[in-house]
Amino acid sequence: MLIGTLAPMIQGAAGTFFPSRFCPDLSMLWIIGLGLYWPSAGGGAAISTALGFVVDLLSGALLGQHALLRLLAFGAARICSRQLNLRGTLPLMTFVVIFTVVNAAGSTLLTAFFTSGPVVDTTILMHLIPHSIVNAIFAVPVIRLVGGISSWLDSNARQLLVLQPRNGSG
Amino acid sequence: MAQFRNRTPLSALIAGLVALAVVAMVVDRRSVLRSGSELSGWAGSVLDVAVPVEQMIALPFELTRDAWRSYVAVVHVGEENEALRARLARLEEENLQLREALVASGRLQRIAKIREEFEVPMLASELVGVDASAWFRSVLVNRGRNHGVRSGMPVISERGLVGLVTSTSKNASKAMLVLDRQSAVDGIVQRSRSRGIVRGTGTDQLDFEFVVRESDVRIGDVVITSGLDGIHPKGIRIGEVTSVSDPGSDLLQTATLVPAVDFGRLELVFVMLRRGSTMELLYQDEDAEIAGAARSLK
Repeated sequence: MLIGTLAPMIQGAAGTFFPSRFCPDLSMLWIIGLGLYWPSAGGGAAISTALGFVVDLLSGALLGQHALLRLLAFGAARICSRQLNLRGTLPLMTFVVIFTVVNAAGSTLLTAFFTSGPVVDTTILMHLIPHSIVNAIFAVPVIRLVGGISSWLDSNARQLLVLQPRNGSG
Repeated sequence: MAQFRNRTPLSALIAGLVALAVVAMVVDRRSVLRSGSELSGWAGSVLDVAVPVEQMIALPFELTRDAWRSYVAVVHVGEENEALRARLARLEEENLQLREALVASGRLQRIAKIREEFEVPMLASELVGVDASAWFRSVLVNRGRNHGVRSGMPVISERGLVGLVTSTSKNASKAMLVLDRQSAVDGIVQRSRSRGIVRGTGTDQLDFEFVVRESDVRIGDVVITSGLDGIHPKGIRIGEVTSVSDPGSDLLQTATLVPAVDFGRLELVFVMLRRGSTMELLYQDEDAEIAGAARSLK
Protein backbone atom coordinates (compact mmCIF):
# COMPACT_ATOMS: atom_id res chain seq x y z
CA MET A 1 0.00 0.00 0.00
CA LEU A 2 2.80 2.38 0.99
CA ILE A 3 4.87 1.54 -2.08
CA GLY A 4 1.73 1.93 -4.19
CA THR A 5 1.23 5.40 -2.70
CA LEU A 6 4.72 6.33 -3.82
CA ALA A 7 3.97 5.42 -7.43
CA PRO A 8 1.95 8.58 -8.29
CA MET A 9 4.48 10.71 -6.41
CA ILE A 10 7.36 9.26 -8.45
CA GLN A 11 5.28 9.88 -11.55
CA GLY A 12 4.57 13.48 -10.50
CA ALA A 13 8.24 14.19 -9.81
CA ALA A 14 9.37 12.60 -13.07
CA GLY A 15 6.75 14.62 -14.93
CA THR A 16 8.59 17.84 -14.13
CA PHE A 17 11.51 16.60 -16.25
CA PHE A 18 9.81 14.57 -18.97
CA PRO A 19 6.61 15.20 -20.97
CA SER A 20 3.65 13.43 -19.37
CA ARG A 21 3.03 11.28 -22.44
CA PHE A 22 6.48 9.75 -22.02
CA CYS A 23 5.98 9.06 -18.31
CA PRO A 24 4.57 5.63 -17.44
CA ASP A 25 1.35 5.45 -15.43
CA LEU A 26 3.06 3.70 -12.53
CA SER A 27 0.02 3.62 -10.28
CA MET A 28 -2.10 1.94 -12.98
CA LEU A 29 0.66 -0.63 -13.60
CA TRP A 30 0.90 -1.22 -9.87
CA ILE A 31 -2.83 -1.95 -9.66
CA ILE A 32 -2.68 -4.32 -12.65
CA GLY A 33 0.12 -6.11 -10.81
CA LEU A 34 -2.10 -6.37 -7.73
CA GLY A 35 -4.86 -7.80 -9.91
CA LEU A 36 -2.51 -10.51 -11.16
CA TYR A 37 -0.66 -11.39 -7.98
CA TRP A 38 -2.53 -10.23 -4.87
CA PRO A 39 -3.96 -13.28 -3.08
CA SER A 40 -7.21 -11.77 -1.76
CA ALA A 41 -9.71 -10.27 -4.22
CA GLY A 42 -11.49 -8.20 -1.57
CA GLY A 43 -8.30 -6.83 -0.05
CA GLY A 44 -6.87 -6.06 -3.47
CA ALA A 45 -10.04 -4.22 -4.52
CA ALA A 46 -9.98 -2.12 -1.35
CA ILE A 47 -6.27 -1.28 -1.78
CA SER A 48 -6.83 -0.39 -5.46
CA THR A 49 -9.67 1.98 -4.58
CA ALA A 50 -7.63 3.61 -1.81
CA LEU A 51 -4.66 4.09 -4.14
CA GLY A 52 -7.04 5.55 -6.72
CA PHE A 53 -8.16 8.15 -4.17
CA VAL A 54 -4.50 9.09 -3.60
CA VAL A 55 -4.04 9.58 -7.36
CA ASP A 56 -7.18 11.75 -7.39
CA LEU A 57 -5.69 13.99 -4.72
CA LEU A 58 -2.46 14.37 -6.68
CA SER A 59 -4.15 15.06 -9.99
CA GLY A 60 -6.69 17.45 -11.45
CA ALA A 61 -9.39 14.76 -11.49
CA LEU A 62 -12.47 14.74 -9.32
CA LEU A 63 -12.09 12.82 -6.09
CA GLY A 64 -13.28 9.28 -6.84
CA GLN A 65 -12.58 9.30 -10.58
CA HIS A 66 -9.33 7.35 -10.43
CA ALA A 67 -10.66 5.31 -7.51
CA LEU A 68 -13.33 3.95 -9.85
CA LEU A 69 -10.90 3.44 -12.74
CA ARG A 70 -8.34 1.70 -10.53
CA LEU A 71 -11.03 -0.64 -9.21
CA LEU A 72 -11.88 -1.40 -12.84
CA ALA A 73 -8.18 -2.03 -13.60
CA PHE A 74 -7.90 -4.42 -10.68
CA GLY A 75 -11.08 -6.29 -11.69
CA ALA A 76 -10.10 -6.45 -15.38
CA ALA A 77 -6.64 -7.80 -14.58
CA ARG A 78 -8.05 -10.37 -12.16
CA ILE A 79 -10.78 -11.59 -14.51
CA CYS A 80 -8.63 -11.59 -17.67
CA SER A 81 -5.81 -13.48 -15.94
CA ARG A 82 -8.18 -16.44 -15.52
CA GLN A 83 -8.62 -16.77 -19.28
CA LEU A 84 -5.30 -15.44 -20.58
CA ASN A 85 -1.69 -15.99 -19.65
CA LEU A 86 -1.10 -12.44 -18.46
CA ARG A 87 2.10 -13.46 -16.71
CA GLY A 88 3.78 -13.84 -20.10
CA THR A 89 5.59 -10.75 -21.41
CA LEU A 90 3.79 -10.23 -24.72
CA PRO A 91 0.20 -10.84 -23.49
CA LEU A 92 0.91 -8.58 -20.51
CA MET A 93 2.20 -5.77 -22.72
CA THR A 94 -0.82 -6.13 -25.02
CA PHE A 95 -3.18 -6.05 -22.05
CA VAL A 96 -1.48 -2.90 -20.72
CA VAL A 97 -1.77 -1.13 -24.09
CA ILE A 98 -5.47 -2.01 -24.30
CA PHE A 99 -6.11 -0.99 -20.73
CA THR A 100 -4.28 2.34 -21.21
CA VAL A 101 -6.80 3.11 -23.97
CA VAL A 102 -9.71 1.98 -21.76
CA ASN A 103 -8.37 4.08 -18.90
CA ALA A 104 -8.05 7.15 -21.15
CA ALA A 105 -11.56 6.65 -22.51
CA GLY A 106 -12.98 6.20 -19.00
CA SER A 107 -11.16 9.25 -17.73
CA THR A 108 -12.28 11.40 -20.67
CA LEU A 109 -15.89 10.24 -20.44
CA LEU A 110 -16.13 10.80 -16.70
CA THR A 111 -14.61 14.27 -17.06
CA ALA A 112 -17.01 15.09 -19.90
CA PHE A 113 -19.92 13.82 -17.80
CA PHE A 114 -19.12 15.94 -14.79
CA THR A 115 -17.82 19.01 -16.62
CA SER A 116 -18.56 20.54 -19.99
CA GLY A 117 -15.42 19.27 -21.70
CA PRO A 118 -15.48 17.69 -25.18
CA VAL A 119 -16.10 13.93 -25.26
CA VAL A 120 -13.99 13.03 -28.29
CA ASP A 121 -10.82 14.88 -29.02
CA THR A 122 -8.43 13.76 -31.76
CA THR A 123 -5.47 15.50 -30.12
CA ILE A 124 -5.70 13.05 -27.24
CA LEU A 125 -4.82 10.24 -29.65
CA MET A 126 -1.44 11.82 -30.29
CA HIS A 127 -0.91 11.70 -26.55
CA LEU A 128 -2.31 8.20 -26.16
CA ILE A 129 -0.07 6.37 -28.63
CA PRO A 130 3.32 7.17 -27.03
CA HIS A 131 1.84 6.89 -23.53
CA SER A 132 0.50 3.37 -24.11
CA ILE A 133 3.84 2.25 -25.61
CA VAL A 134 5.74 3.63 -22.60
CA ASN A 135 3.28 1.91 -20.26
CA ALA A 136 3.79 -1.40 -22.07
CA ILE A 137 7.58 -1.09 -21.77
CA PHE A 138 7.42 -0.34 -18.05
CA ALA A 139 4.69 -2.95 -17.40
CA VAL A 140 7.00 -5.95 -17.18
CA PRO A 141 9.43 -4.67 -14.50
CA VAL A 142 6.73 -2.92 -12.42
CA ILE A 143 4.33 -5.87 -12.43
CA ARG A 144 7.13 -8.37 -11.75
CA LEU A 145 8.08 -6.21 -8.75
CA VAL A 146 4.50 -6.40 -7.45
CA GLY A 147 4.60 -10.19 -8.01
CA GLY A 148 7.83 -10.46 -6.07
CA ILE A 149 6.50 -8.40 -3.16
CA SER A 150 3.22 -10.36 -3.09
CA SER A 151 4.97 -13.75 -3.04
CA TRP A 152 7.36 -12.52 -0.34
CA LEU A 153 4.44 -11.34 1.81
CA ASP A 154 2.60 -14.60 1.11
CA SER A 155 5.55 -16.78 2.12
CA ASN A 156 6.02 -14.75 5.32
CA ALA A 157 2.35 -15.23 6.15
CA ARG A 158 2.65 -19.01 5.54
CA GLN A 159 5.67 -19.24 7.85
CA LEU A 160 3.65 -17.63 10.62
CA LEU A 161 0.90 -20.19 10.14
CA VAL A 162 3.18 -23.25 10.47
CA LEU A 163 2.26 -25.03 13.70
CA GLN A 164 5.14 -25.52 16.05
CA PRO A 165 5.37 -28.99 17.80
CA ARG A 166 4.87 -28.94 21.52
CA ASN A 167 7.81 -29.60 23.75
CA GLY A 168 7.57 -31.84 26.82
CA SER A 169 6.58 -35.40 27.64
CA GLY A 170 3.01 -34.99 26.42
CA MET B 1 -24.71 -22.52 -2.51
CA ALA B 2 -21.46 -22.25 -0.57
CA GLN B 3 -19.82 -20.60 -3.58
CA PHE B 4 -22.68 -18.07 -3.71
CA ARG B 5 -22.24 -17.35 0.00
CA ASN B 6 -18.49 -16.80 -0.54
CA ARG B 7 -19.09 -14.43 -3.43
CA THR B 8 -21.78 -12.34 -1.76
CA PRO B 9 -19.48 -10.42 0.63
CA LEU B 10 -17.05 -9.72 -2.26
CA SER B 11 -19.87 -8.45 -4.48
CA ALA B 12 -21.14 -6.29 -1.63
CA LEU B 13 -17.63 -4.92 -1.06
CA ILE B 14 -17.15 -4.07 -4.74
CA ALA B 15 -20.61 -2.47 -4.93
CA GLY B 16 -19.74 -0.47 -1.81
CA LEU B 17 -16.43 0.69 -3.29
CA VAL B 18 -18.08 1.71 -6.57
CA ALA B 19 -20.77 3.59 -4.65
CA LEU B 20 -18.09 5.30 -2.54
CA ALA B 21 -16.20 6.45 -5.64
CA VAL B 22 -19.36 7.73 -7.36
CA VAL B 23 -20.57 9.57 -4.25
CA ALA B 24 -17.08 11.08 -3.82
CA MET B 25 -17.17 12.37 -7.41
CA VAL B 26 -20.60 13.96 -6.99
CA VAL B 27 -19.67 15.53 -3.64
CA ASP B 28 -16.33 16.77 -5.00
CA ARG B 29 -17.99 18.30 -8.06
CA ARG B 30 -20.53 20.06 -5.86
CA SER B 31 -17.83 21.38 -3.55
CA VAL B 32 -15.82 22.66 -6.54
CA LEU B 33 -18.89 24.47 -7.85
CA ARG B 34 -19.77 25.90 -4.46
CA SER B 35 -16.55 26.84 -2.78
CA GLY B 36 -13.49 25.07 -4.16
CA SER B 37 -11.66 22.52 -2.13
CA GLU B 38 -9.57 23.54 0.81
CA LEU B 39 -8.34 20.08 1.72
CA SER B 40 -8.21 19.08 5.34
CA GLY B 41 -7.70 15.88 7.34
CA TRP B 42 -6.21 12.90 5.50
CA ALA B 43 -6.68 14.49 2.06
CA GLY B 44 -4.66 17.56 3.05
CA SER B 45 -2.03 15.36 4.66
CA VAL B 46 -1.53 13.42 1.42
CA LEU B 47 -0.87 16.69 -0.42
CA ASP B 48 1.44 17.95 2.34
CA VAL B 49 3.39 14.70 2.39
CA ALA B 50 3.62 14.61 -1.41
CA VAL B 51 5.59 17.88 -1.57
CA PRO B 52 8.73 16.78 0.35
CA VAL B 53 8.52 13.27 -1.08
CA GLU B 54 8.37 14.56 -4.66
CA GLN B 55 11.16 17.04 -3.93
CA MET B 56 13.28 14.16 -2.64
CA ILE B 57 12.48 11.98 -5.66
CA ALA B 58 13.24 14.87 -8.01
CA LEU B 59 16.59 15.61 -6.37
CA PRO B 60 18.72 13.18 -8.44
CA PHE B 61 16.99 14.38 -11.62
CA GLU B 62 17.63 18.00 -10.63
CA LEU B 63 21.25 17.35 -9.79
CA THR B 64 21.77 15.66 -13.13
CA ARG B 65 20.04 18.49 -14.95
CA ASP B 66 21.97 21.16 -13.07
CA ALA B 67 25.25 19.35 -13.72
CA TRP B 68 24.39 19.16 -17.38
CA ARG B 69 23.45 22.80 -17.55
CA SER B 70 26.31 24.17 -15.48
CA TYR B 71 29.29 21.97 -16.28
CA VAL B 72 28.76 19.81 -19.31
CA ALA B 73 27.25 22.64 -21.30
CA VAL B 74 29.39 25.73 -21.77
CA VAL B 75 29.38 27.25 -18.29
CA HIS B 76 29.46 30.99 -18.81
CA VAL B 77 27.43 31.06 -21.98
CA GLY B 78 24.71 29.04 -20.25
CA GLU B 79 24.54 31.37 -17.26
CA GLU B 80 24.62 34.48 -19.43
CA ASN B 81 21.94 33.01 -21.63
CA GLU B 82 19.72 32.35 -18.58
CA ALA B 83 20.21 35.94 -17.36
CA LEU B 84 19.51 37.42 -20.79
CA ARG B 85 16.42 35.25 -21.24
CA ALA B 86 15.11 36.35 -17.85
CA ARG B 87 15.76 39.98 -18.76
CA LEU B 88 14.12 39.53 -22.15
CA ALA B 89 11.06 37.98 -20.48
CA ARG B 90 10.81 40.95 -18.09
CA LEU B 91 11.16 43.46 -20.92
CA GLU B 92 8.61 41.61 -23.05
CA GLU B 93 6.11 41.62 -20.19
CA GLU B 94 6.75 45.33 -19.57
CA ASN B 95 6.42 46.07 -23.26
CA LEU B 96 3.17 44.12 -23.38
CA GLN B 97 1.74 46.08 -20.48
CA LEU B 98 2.80 49.38 -22.02
CA ARG B 99 1.24 48.47 -25.35
CA GLU B 100 -1.88 47.29 -23.58
CA ALA B 101 -2.19 50.61 -21.77
CA LEU B 102 -1.66 52.58 -24.98
CA VAL B 103 -4.25 50.55 -26.85
CA ALA B 104 -6.78 50.87 -24.04
CA SER B 105 -6.77 54.62 -23.63
CA GLY B 106 -4.21 56.18 -25.90
CA ARG B 107 -2.81 58.13 -22.98
CA LEU B 108 0.49 57.45 -21.28
CA GLN B 109 -0.95 58.38 -17.89
CA ARG B 110 -3.03 55.24 -18.08
CA ILE B 111 0.13 53.15 -17.73
CA ALA B 112 0.46 54.08 -14.09
CA LYS B 113 -3.10 52.95 -13.38
CA ILE B 114 -2.59 49.64 -15.14
CA ARG B 115 0.56 49.06 -13.15
CA GLU B 116 -1.41 49.73 -9.99
CA GLU B 117 -4.00 47.18 -11.09
CA PHE B 118 -1.24 44.63 -11.50
CA GLU B 119 0.27 45.40 -8.15
CA VAL B 120 -1.34 42.43 -6.55
CA PRO B 121 0.74 40.80 -3.83
CA MET B 122 2.38 37.77 -5.38
CA LEU B 123 3.91 34.73 -3.79
CA ALA B 124 6.77 32.93 -5.49
CA SER B 125 6.20 29.18 -5.38
CA GLU B 126 8.27 26.29 -6.55
CA LEU B 127 6.75 23.67 -8.77
CA VAL B 128 7.40 20.31 -7.14
CA GLY B 129 5.35 17.92 -9.21
CA VAL B 130 2.98 17.57 -12.10
CA ASP B 131 -0.29 15.70 -12.42
CA ALA B 132 -0.23 12.07 -11.34
CA SER B 133 -2.48 11.27 -14.29
CA ALA B 134 -1.51 11.75 -17.93
CA TRP B 135 -5.06 12.88 -18.80
CA PHE B 136 -5.15 15.98 -16.61
CA ARG B 137 -2.84 18.98 -16.52
CA SER B 138 -2.25 20.32 -13.07
CA VAL B 139 0.79 21.05 -10.94
CA LEU B 140 1.67 20.79 -7.28
CA VAL B 141 3.36 23.81 -5.70
CA ASN B 142 5.07 24.13 -2.32
CA ARG B 143 2.90 26.92 -0.88
CA GLY B 144 -0.44 26.43 0.82
CA ARG B 145 -2.98 27.94 3.21
CA ASN B 146 -0.28 28.76 5.75
CA HIS B 147 1.24 31.10 3.15
CA GLY B 148 -2.05 32.76 2.25
CA VAL B 149 -2.86 30.70 -0.84
CA ARG B 150 -6.55 29.94 -1.40
CA SER B 151 -8.54 28.17 -4.11
CA GLY B 152 -9.48 30.46 -6.98
CA MET B 153 -6.28 32.51 -7.02
CA PRO B 154 -4.62 32.94 -10.44
CA VAL B 155 -1.13 31.57 -11.03
CA ILE B 156 1.27 33.26 -13.45
CA SER B 157 4.90 33.13 -14.50
CA GLU B 158 7.08 35.86 -15.98
CA ARG B 159 5.93 34.71 -19.44
CA GLY B 160 2.18 34.75 -18.87
CA LEU B 161 -0.81 32.88 -17.46
CA VAL B 162 -0.14 29.49 -15.89
CA GLY B 163 -3.49 28.53 -14.35
CA LEU B 164 -5.66 28.67 -11.28
CA VAL B 165 -5.34 27.26 -7.75
CA THR B 166 -7.98 24.54 -7.37
CA SER B 167 -7.23 23.04 -3.98
CA THR B 168 -4.99 23.78 -1.06
CA SER B 169 -3.64 22.06 2.02
CA LYS B 170 -1.61 23.64 4.81
CA ASN B 171 1.70 23.70 2.94
CA ALA B 172 0.86 22.76 -0.63
CA SER B 173 -1.50 23.72 -3.41
CA LYS B 174 -2.74 22.16 -6.60
CA ALA B 175 -3.16 24.42 -9.60
CA MET B 176 -5.02 23.54 -12.77
CA LEU B 177 -3.02 24.63 -15.83
CA VAL B 178 -4.66 26.53 -18.68
CA LEU B 179 -3.80 23.45 -20.77
CA ASP B 180 -6.24 21.25 -18.81
CA ARG B 181 -9.40 20.23 -20.65
CA GLN B 182 -11.48 21.65 -17.79
CA SER B 183 -9.87 25.09 -18.05
CA ALA B 184 -11.55 28.04 -19.79
CA VAL B 185 -10.37 31.66 -19.72
CA ASP B 186 -12.01 34.72 -21.23
CA GLY B 187 -9.50 36.20 -23.67
CA ILE B 188 -9.11 38.99 -26.23
CA VAL B 189 -6.81 39.48 -29.18
CA GLN B 190 -4.53 42.32 -28.15
CA ARG B 191 -4.39 43.91 -31.61
CA SER B 192 -8.04 43.74 -32.71
CA ARG B 193 -9.79 43.31 -29.32
CA SER B 194 -11.72 40.30 -30.67
CA ARG B 195 -13.12 38.28 -27.82
CA GLY B 196 -13.35 34.54 -27.25
CA ILE B 197 -12.81 31.73 -24.78
CA VAL B 198 -9.41 30.11 -24.42
CA ARG B 199 -9.95 26.48 -23.65
CA GLY B 200 -7.37 23.84 -22.70
CA THR B 201 -7.11 20.76 -24.89
CA GLY B 202 -5.09 18.51 -22.60
CA THR B 203 -2.14 18.82 -24.99
CA ASP B 204 0.45 21.59 -25.40
CA GLN B 205 -1.92 23.76 -27.43
CA LEU B 206 -4.92 25.90 -26.59
CA ASP B 207 -8.14 26.49 -28.49
CA PHE B 208 -9.50 30.04 -28.86
CA GLU B 209 -13.21 29.33 -29.27
CA PHE B 210 -16.49 31.22 -29.67
CA VAL B 211 -14.87 33.97 -31.73
CA VAL B 212 -17.41 35.73 -33.97
CA ARG B 213 -16.65 34.93 -37.62
CA GLU B 214 -16.33 38.61 -38.57
CA SER B 215 -13.66 39.09 -35.89
CA ASP B 216 -10.18 39.95 -37.01
CA VAL B 217 -7.91 37.15 -35.81
CA ARG B 218 -4.62 36.53 -37.60
CA ILE B 219 -1.69 34.18 -37.18
CA GLY B 220 0.85 35.76 -34.83
CA ASP B 221 -1.75 37.72 -32.84
CA VAL B 222 -1.22 37.77 -29.08
CA VAL B 223 -4.19 36.74 -26.93
CA ILE B 224 -4.40 38.19 -23.43
CA THR B 225 -6.86 37.80 -20.55
CA SER B 226 -9.85 40.09 -20.89
CA GLY B 227 -10.60 40.27 -17.17
CA LEU B 228 -14.28 39.77 -17.98
CA ASP B 229 -14.45 36.32 -16.42
CA GLY B 230 -13.92 37.91 -13.02
CA ILE B 231 -11.23 35.34 -12.27
CA HIS B 232 -8.05 36.53 -13.98
CA PRO B 233 -6.86 40.15 -14.07
CA LYS B 234 -6.89 41.87 -17.45
CA GLY B 235 -3.80 41.93 -19.65
CA ILE B 236 -1.97 38.72 -18.79
CA ARG B 237 -0.51 37.09 -21.87
CA ILE B 238 -2.10 33.71 -22.65
CA GLY B 239 -0.62 32.74 -26.00
CA GLU B 240 -0.06 33.42 -29.66
CA VAL B 241 -2.30 32.43 -32.56
CA THR B 242 -0.74 29.72 -34.73
CA SER B 243 -3.69 28.85 -36.94
CA VAL B 244 -7.21 30.05 -37.63
CA SER B 245 -9.91 27.65 -38.81
CA ASP B 246 -12.12 28.44 -41.76
CA PRO B 247 -15.58 28.99 -40.22
CA GLY B 248 -17.39 27.93 -43.42
CA SER B 249 -21.06 28.55 -42.83
CA ASP B 250 -20.68 28.64 -39.03
CA LEU B 251 -21.26 31.80 -37.05
CA LEU B 252 -18.19 31.25 -34.92
CA GLN B 253 -14.57 30.54 -35.68
CA THR B 254 -11.84 28.81 -33.70
CA ALA B 255 -8.13 29.54 -33.55
CA THR B 256 -5.27 27.51 -32.15
CA LEU B 257 -2.84 29.11 -29.73
CA VAL B 258 0.60 28.19 -28.55
CA PRO B 259 0.79 29.09 -24.84
CA ALA B 260 3.00 31.98 -23.79
CA VAL B 261 4.38 29.86 -20.97
CA ASP B 262 6.70 26.98 -21.77
CA PHE B 263 5.12 24.44 -19.44
CA GLY B 264 7.89 21.94 -20.05
CA ARG B 265 10.42 24.27 -18.43
CA LEU B 266 8.24 25.70 -15.70
CA GLU B 267 10.01 25.73 -12.34
CA LEU B 268 8.93 28.88 -10.53
CA VAL B 269 5.43 30.35 -10.54
CA PHE B 270 3.75 33.28 -8.80
CA VAL B 271 0.42 32.95 -7.04
CA MET B 272 -1.56 36.21 -7.19
CA LEU B 273 -2.78 36.53 -3.62
CA ARG B 274 -6.07 38.14 -4.59
CA ARG B 275 -9.10 36.56 -6.15
CA GLY B 276 -11.11 38.04 -8.97
CA SER B 277 -14.59 39.46 -8.37
CA THR B 278 -16.39 36.28 -9.45
CA MET B 279 -14.23 34.17 -7.21
CA GLU B 280 -14.81 36.54 -4.31
CA LEU B 281 -18.55 36.03 -4.68
CA LEU B 282 -18.13 32.28 -5.02
CA TYR B 283 -15.90 31.95 -1.99
CA GLN B 284 -17.42 34.54 0.35
CA ASP B 285 -18.97 31.92 2.65
CA GLU B 286 -15.68 30.11 2.96
CA ASP B 287 -13.81 33.39 3.58
CA ALA B 288 -16.26 34.23 6.34
CA GLU B 289 -15.62 30.79 7.85
CA ILE B 290 -11.85 31.34 7.70
CA ALA B 291 -12.20 34.78 9.29
CA GLY B 292 -14.43 33.28 11.99
CA ALA B 293 -11.94 30.52 12.66
CA ALA B 294 -9.11 33.08 12.90
CA ARG B 295 -11.16 35.17 15.36
CA SER B 296 -11.91 32.12 17.49
CA LEU B 297 -8.19 31.24 17.59
CA LYS B 298 -7.44 34.73 18.93
